[in-house]
Amino acid sequence: MTAVQNRTPRPAAQLPPRERLSRWANKNRKWLFAGPSMAFVALLLVIPLAWTLVLSLTDSKRSVRRPFDFIGLENYVEALTDTERFWPSVGRTLAFTGGALFFELILGMIIALLLWKPFRGQGLVRTIVLLPLVATPVAVGMMWRLLFEPNIGFVNEFLSWFGIPAQPWLADPNTSLATLTFVDIWQWTPMVALILLAGLTGLSEEPQEAARMDGANAWQRFWYVTVPLMRPVIIAAVLLRGIDALKTFDILYATKGKGGGAFHDVETLNVYAYGLSFDYNEYGLASAVLILFFLMILAIIWVIQMQRKATS
Amino acid sequence: MKYGSSAARVFAVATTAVVAASLVACSSDSGIDEGDSIEGTTIRVTLANHVWTETIKDLIPEFEKESGAKVEITQLAEDQLSDQYNVKLNAGTDEIDVLMYRPLQENKLFADNGYLANLTDQVEGDKEWDWSDFQEGPASLTTYDGEVVGVPIITERTVLYYRKDLLQAAGLEVPTTLEELEAAAKAIHEANPDVAGYVGRTGKSAAVTQLSAFLYSFGGDWLDGTDSLIGSDEAREAYKYYGNLISGYTNATVNPEMSWPEAFAVFQQGQAAFIADADSLYKNMTDPSQSTVADNVGFAAFPEGPAGSKPYNVAAWALAINEQSANKSGAWEFIKWATSKATSLEMAKLGVSGARASVWEDPTANADYPAELLEAIKVNGQNGVGYDRPLVIEVAKAREIVGEPIVVAIAGGDVDAAIDAADKAFGEFLLEDAE
Amino acid sequence: MTALAEGRVSAPARRRRRPFRWGPVGRFVGLAVIIVMFLGPIVWMVLASFKLNVQIYDSSQAIIFEPTLENYGTVFDPRRGNYLVYIWNSFFIAFMATGLSLVLAVPAAYAMSRFLMNKSATTVLLARIIPGVSLLVPWYYIFAQLRMTGSFLPLILSHMFVSLPLILYIMMSFFDQMPEELEESAQVDGLTPIQAFFRITLPLSISGIATATILSFIFSWNNFMFALVLAGPSTKTLPVAIFDFIGYASIDWGALMAASVVVTTPIMLIALFTQRYIVSGLTAGATKG
Repeated sequence: MTAVQNRTPRPAAQLPPRERLSRWANKNRKWLFAGPSMAFVALLLVIPLAWTLVLSLTDSKRSVRRPFDFIGLENYVEALTDTERFWPSVGRTLAFTGGALFFELILGMIIALLLWKPFRGQGLVRTIVLLPLVATPVAVGMMWRLLFEPNIGFVNEFLSWFGIPAQPWLADPNTSLATLTFVDIWQWTPMVALILLAGLTGLSEEPQEAARMDGANAWQRFWYVTVPLMRPVIIAAVLLRGIDALKTFDILYATKGKGGGAFHDVETLNVYAYGLSFDYNEYGLASAVLILFFLMILAIIWVIQMQRKATS
Repeated sequence: MKYGSSAARVFAVATTAVVAASLVACSSDSGIDEGDSIEGTTIRVTLANHVWTETIKDLIPEFEKESGAKVEITQLAEDQLSDQYNVKLNAGTDEIDVLMYRPLQENKLFADNGYLANLTDQVEGDKEWDWSDFQEGPASLTTYDGEVVGVPIITERTVLYYRKDLLQAAGLEVPTTLEELEAAAKAIHEANPDVAGYVGRTGKSAAVTQLSAFLYSFGGDWLDGTDSLIGSDEAREAYKYYGNLISGYTNATVNPEMSWPEAFAVFQQGQAAFIADADSLYKNMTDPSQSTVADNVGFAAFPEGPAGSKPYNVAAWALAINEQSANKSGAWEFIKWATSKATSLEMAKLGVSGARASVWEDPTANADYPAELLEAIKVNGQNGVGYDRPLVIEVAKAREIVGEPIVVAIAGGDVDAAIDAADKAFGEFLLEDAE
Repeated sequence: MTALAEGRVSAPARRRRRPFRWGPVGRFVGLAVIIVMFLGPIVWMVLASFKLNVQIYDSSQAIIFEPTLENYGTVFDPRRGNYLVYIWNSFFIAFMATGLSLVLAVPAAYAMSRFLMNKSATTVLLARIIPGVSLLVPWYYIFAQLRMTGSFLPLILSHMFVSLPLILYIMMSFFDQMPEELEESAQVDGLTPIQAFFRITLPLSISGIATATILSFIFSWNNFMFALVLAGPSTKTLPVAIFDFIGYASIDWGALMAASVVVTTPIMLIALFTQRYIVSGLTAGATKG
């Protein structure tokens, strides 16, 4: 992009200072515009990242102001060989994210298809669908905490109308992670649905028509025409939602507190790192876990991006 | 310190220099001077959500008028409070002058990290305020390495809550021994299949403090120096007894993650006959807006085990001064006022049990308490042990280790194997913790 | 955004050509389930906020009960805390963080879009990826050294750390779709490139900026983790204040629900009136293909 100058360029030295500044600014506008943002983010990002990286190589604990020793990669070895807390957290992080994404995509697609064609009251339904995703996550956590309360919660009351016995939900380590995955699905399916809906409305008609001419039924047209065309949109939704799901913290903290419950049953990597920092005060190990977590997120994004490139 | 590489050394030296510089900068004005006027200063106080806090907030205007200082309060829930301390005190903040903290959980850690100012001279210097008036158990909890670092404000003991109506219907006396307790739980459950004989905390970490009374009463303890004692025969009996008491006399599936709110809810809804838990929570039982059995709650001293009745009697909360505070004189004036005999008496009248012996003896102080509860508190106070969990630096970790066998005992698994494993892990933990 | 506009035009045409196969009944049931599923819990939370704790405990009063304002009285009781101040704090921080982020991020998004600075953009987006836990202690430490703790500045800066990449992301995809011809012709008319940006491009970007502003405001308002550790007594925000009703000796469910309603109501009202922008912001970039 070259700027078109309609003035006769004069040597810079002859210009008044204002003009000179203007020319300099226009010439360097790329960095003048982008620089401050990048500097801001870098400042707030680089120092903590370097700090975390350095601490991850030390035995810092109890307080970061205590003297510490450098112990090389020992924290990483400890984390990576820890089958009691670290690997289960990895598993829970992936199960939570995977489970949430899977259902959010399916339900989101169903909702998007239902909302695809205009009908009376469509605006109202769209607004209602929007509410969960703008609601404050901590408040959502509290709301579901009461709804799922085994003794006084409405969910068990509702089930009892159909003769279904009370379930422990969040209180039982076997069901708590699934319950919280449900809460995540409740809150974020709308976002996936809206993204997919935007994708659907952008599709052209011709392939659908062609498929219809060939005698394809509704399901076939959906599966063999719509889904492949929607692939880039689906991948984008997975990327946007996936990053946030991996880092979920608020609803886990609001419903189960530090450590992810008495059995660490909802302890994802983020919650584990938080607990290591603020419950156990093991800053060295916590930093190593955070770095591993960061690398894991980057790797997942990289894989999805490769998928994205492959499709486009 | 030993360092791996030269680059690392440079960084470490730089960090240490920054830290040292900031420490020097902050601590140059250390020391509490009782002669200092605190008029016009601001005292920043960080408090937990608690009846005590609600009460002190009503009284603070008086203090502000007397002293001329301004008190600024930050109030947080227990967990958020401890998170904030672990960030703020950790970074060496001077944003906090007075902190309300949990001595059982945090005294060793905070004192060992140098977060808490040494108050020995102050507490011992003021005869009128009278440090010796504080009960020994709670006072020992806020002492570290011979230095007094905090002043207890709230104490609690295990008390046995029971259902008067159920006991009466079954024709039973209030149990005074653990054997009688188990028999009563059994009898009541058999007569009322919907009611659990006993409910209690079941969560791994949460149950540890309530197990402690059973552990001590069976003659066991957590540790001796760096040796784990949870593998002893007495401890094994206590674990098994506690597990069986909760899971043995109920038809309901036991929620394995109960802390006090969940366990209390069961009792409040009339679904259990007994629960032993902190007496400081009694209003949850007697408040008709929360409890359907408010009229039928009885209170009893903790039953005797083979080693007698040994409930805990601990300081749940205390006040301390941040070592980095720039207004330590003001902070001390505040603590002195908030823990004075007069204020403690005021607190007691509103149902907050403090640590001052003189207040417990004052008949006007405790008029609000149910008489039966007051009696139980007195007995428990005399028998009480000064801690309800292993007193180590990394308490959160220790609780998880010694709590594991409780879970197994309640679930009906192989308790001995679980204790063996926990005993070993706890021994290793203690060595590391003592470093 | 353009995708949505197209949808609005082409959809009625489609309806005429082929009726929906599932039949109106299935469609109605589906929509009813969606409404109940997403609205039900929120309605129930609002109902609970008008109940005394005994009523919450009593299942016979699940739907029909005598409402009370007592919980709201508790929430706004000046002795307990100061919710009016917390509301103001949340608003002020979200407003400042959004405003300052816009100032920094809109020109940056423009430059990154026009000069195809993909690597730089990716670097900024790292801020969205890094786990927040790793930032807390270092940030607080630095802010404490700079004597900034207790003021609004650390909170505004930390919220900007969330807002700025978000705005950058939305605005980049907005500028990507905006034709360059207008700016170029403006430059032919004698404007410098910077003047062209301020006089031509910015006024045309109002809808994109509105989208970015609303979303940034919502994200800042909802942020919990940074405020949890960085907020002082006078800078506490609403999501942190919710925990006021979880006491040492009891959970006040009624007040907890009332507090949750107080936190979510402003943001839901904003959502009601600006839903078009929110949708286009959330889907920005996703439908580029």
